[in-house]
Amino acid sequence: MNTVDEFDVVIVGAGISGAIMAEQLGAKGKRVLVLEAGSGTGDRFWSSGGANSKRDGYESYMDTFFTALAKIPNAPYPDNPNAPQPLVTDLEPITPNQPLTNGYFVQKGPLPFASTYTRAEGGTTLHWLGTCLRMLPEDFHIKTEFGRGLDWPINYHDLEKWYQVAEKNIGVSANADEQNYHQIDNPSVQIPYQDGYDYPMEKIPQSYLDRHMAKGLQGMTVNFDGKTYPIDVVSTPQGRNGMPRGSYRPVGAVGDPDLGQRCAGNSNCVPICPIQAKYNALKTLMQAQKTHHVEIRTQCVAYDLEVDPVTNHISKVHYKQYSDPNSSDHVCKAVRGKVVVLAAHAVENAKLMLASGVGNSSDQVGRNLMDHPTMLTWGLMPSPIGAFRGPGSTSGIPSLRGGDFRKNRAAFRIEIGNWGWSWPEGAPIGTVPDLIDQKNLFGKQLKDTIASVYPRMFRFGFLVEQLPDPNNRVTIDPNYRDQLGNYRPVIDYDVSDYSRAGMAAAKHVSDMIFQRLGVEGYTEYNPSDPGYVTYQGQGYTYNGAGHLVGTHIMGADSKTSVVNREQRSWDHPNLYLVGCGNMPTISTSNPTLTMAALTYWAADNVYKALADM
Amino acid sequence: MDWLDEFYHLSSALTDYKVVQLKGTGVGEEYLDVLSTIIPQDILSELFDCYRSLKVQNSSKPKEQLIRDAILCDAKLGPVARNIIKMWYLSIWYQMPDDWRQQFGKPNQGSPKYQDVQFVVSRNAYIQGLVWEALGSHPMGAKQPGYGTWSDKPTDKGSVISTAS
Ligand SMILES: Cc1cc2nc3c(=O)[nH]c(=O)nc-3n(C[C@H](O)[C@H](O)[C@H](O)COP(=O)(O)OP(=O)(O)OC[C@H]3O[C@@H](n4cnc5c(N)ncnc54)[C@H](O)[C@@H]3O)c2cc1C
Repeated sequence: MNTVDEFDVVIVGAGISGAIMAEQLGAKGKRVLVLEAGSGTGDRFWSSGGANSKRDGYESYMDTFFTALAKIPNAPYPDNPNAPQPLVTDLEPITPNQPLTNGYFVQKGPLPFASTYTRAEGGTTLHWLGTCLRMLPEDFHIKTEFGRGLDWPINYHDLEKWYQVAEKNIGVSANADEQNYHQIDNPSVQIPYQDGYDYPMEKIPQSYLDRHMAKGLQGMTVNFDGKTYPIDVVSTPQGRNGMPRGSYRPVGAVGDPDLGQRCAGNSNCVPICPIQAKYNALKTLMQAQKTHHVEIRTQCVAYDLEVDPVTNHISKVHYKQYSDPNSSDHVCKAVRGKVVVLAAHAVENAKLMLASGVGNSSDQVGRNLMDHPTMLTWGLMPSPIGAFRGPGSTSGIPSLRGGDFRKNRAAFRIEIGNWGWSWPEGAPIGTVPDLIDQKNLFGKQLKDTIASVYPRMFRFGFLVEQLPDPNNRVTIDPNYRDQLGNYRPVIDYDVSDYSRAGMAAAKHVSDMIFQRLGVEGYTEYNPSDPGYVTYQGQGYTYNGAGHLVGTHIMGADSKTSVVNREQRSWDHPNLYLVGCGNMPTISTSNPTLTMAALTYWAADNVYKALADM
Repeated sequence: MDWLDEFYHLSSALTDYKVVQLKGTGVGEEYLDVLSTIIPQDILSELFDCYRSLKVQNSSKPKEQLIRDAILCDAKLGPVARNIIKMWYLSIWYQMPDDWRQQFGKPNQGSPKYQDVQFVVSRNAYIQGLVWEALGSHPMGAKQPGYGTWSDKPTDKGSVISTAS
């Protein structure tokens, strides 16, 4: 018998949540092992070695990206049948009683779950946009306030100091006196920031489009349920390097730290920042390894958690280690941790718990899966606004994130997109062939058309709130497995009338803004769109936001939640869960900053718990 | 003239970019390599011959119209010319239309370097795609313009005059 390795902490998943855990506990001298299902580039930026001993660096992802036909979020990160990942190109409308099985997810519908994630070292932040919004105070208790969703067992003030830690360590660029929304004439959205606090870097310059929009919308208001709400354009806090404040030093690229000290306008945050000016979890993993107490094992897929029947502790984590992503050859191994942390992301955490039969006395594991159904509207501005330049989004309209209307319908945040019609239409790569093949343009006409139309393209994204619904869930089914024999996620998903009413309100706001700015509208929703829904006779289409939330929610009651406010499993004293799965509601902020804040808190809880073990 | 030269001149007429601009991309040879691997030689030489004869023709019609008449509306040459434009703009080879392949295509023999399926020509070709310049920006993911440039007023490309040679 092999002896089983033993660590203070075993973490499953080397994304941002796992990296934060590893770095925090490693820095305090705890011995940490991180198991990562996907492949990695270690601490290399540039690839090294010759034909036989080639070691891929981060740069190799750029090769894959440049030559990929579909520049989707996962395009740079090679397909790995031993750690499969969902792709947006897998999506199709679902025929009733006929699960959609062409991708990694088994989608039972009635609607497709449209979001994806990345299974490679560094996780999904490799291709995230980097938007780092705090939640509103009212978002923590929408059940009490509006009779909808669930309350969190914690409130904004509990989390505030952890928000500060997360903003510093991710490296967020923003100005606190703007992000507190005190300039917005809607008290529901205002966020208290600690006196004297500011972000580590100054706000990222707003795009020309943002400024054009802010000017055009000045003083605009909308009316909901007899109340007036302002439309305000505000710069968005971003996890990308800008001008540092005080003694703060931006963290550059892993393996070549002179790169990425400042965003250089590559206009490619999703799917990959070529210079790592945008935060990704490789940075935190590198800091974790510098503590010399953290070991990261890539190509190790955790598949079973063993429980000690006497203590109810997780006694072992079983994993399959492979050496070639394209071969199913693998060896089964196990490790012990005094504490075990699941950080494999919402769907994979739930899957692993269900596969192991752990932590589910509440029957809530896998349930309450949420996303921001994201509705797009798009059009042409009357004059060039310089589309296809800069970070994907540098501003939004947050003034409708909160208010009494949440009793009746979902709130939303409006994201202003800087990359023209790249999301709704795949422009320019997806649209120029039509100019040549169907519109029969060539030569000067073609060139002039592109020059006069494309710089005027713009789109809004409406990130619509979705409520926790126990029927939106991840399950497992022995009939559906991947190449290593691990379960594929089976997903039941629908979008309720509450969210659909939010989409309708969003479309109404969009129409008014288009009128005001003289935008030539091109928005189209087709029944053949995978995310097509109707509400009161009108059709709308949602997309995935990449915000997978709520599969192991935290709560104050062990009967209705999976983890307690310390983010520890109610059932197993040494099992902690981290990630957006802990969030009982999604509200209107992109979830990662809040999740990171929670994870710093969880690391502190684990550290304290280890003292008694 | 060798084919590369002919290819550049035809491409210039099809895209309204000067030959020197096209040469400056450094990917013309690669594109011609793709083209001559996939398109039968006799069709390519017919295309180049056709364009050469247009250039010396003494016609009152504008050159654009001559190109439309002789090349773009020709069942054999038109789809090839359109693929050349798409390659320059987007750095992608698109599969030739079905009816063209049935009538004119050559079966892929052995395993040539390029097959008639959709593909991105190369990493460098993506970066050199003309579309980025045409729309007033830079290839997404390359030729980074620098911090804060997205805040600047866009330059008005709509008024740019023809630059063809
Ligand atoms: C296109 C896109 C844009 C986004 N933009 C934003 C944004 O602007 N702002 C925002 O807040 N959020 C954004 N997100 C969401 C954000 O990326 C995620 O919330 C975040 O990455 C989640 O972090 P995580 O550590 O929990 O999971 P991940 O980052 O997904 O990391 C999980 C890791 O666990 C590994 N793993 C999985 N299963 C196993 C297993 N069985 N064994 C071992 N390891 C395993 C995975 O390989 C992966 O490395 C975006 C997402 C997408 C898709």
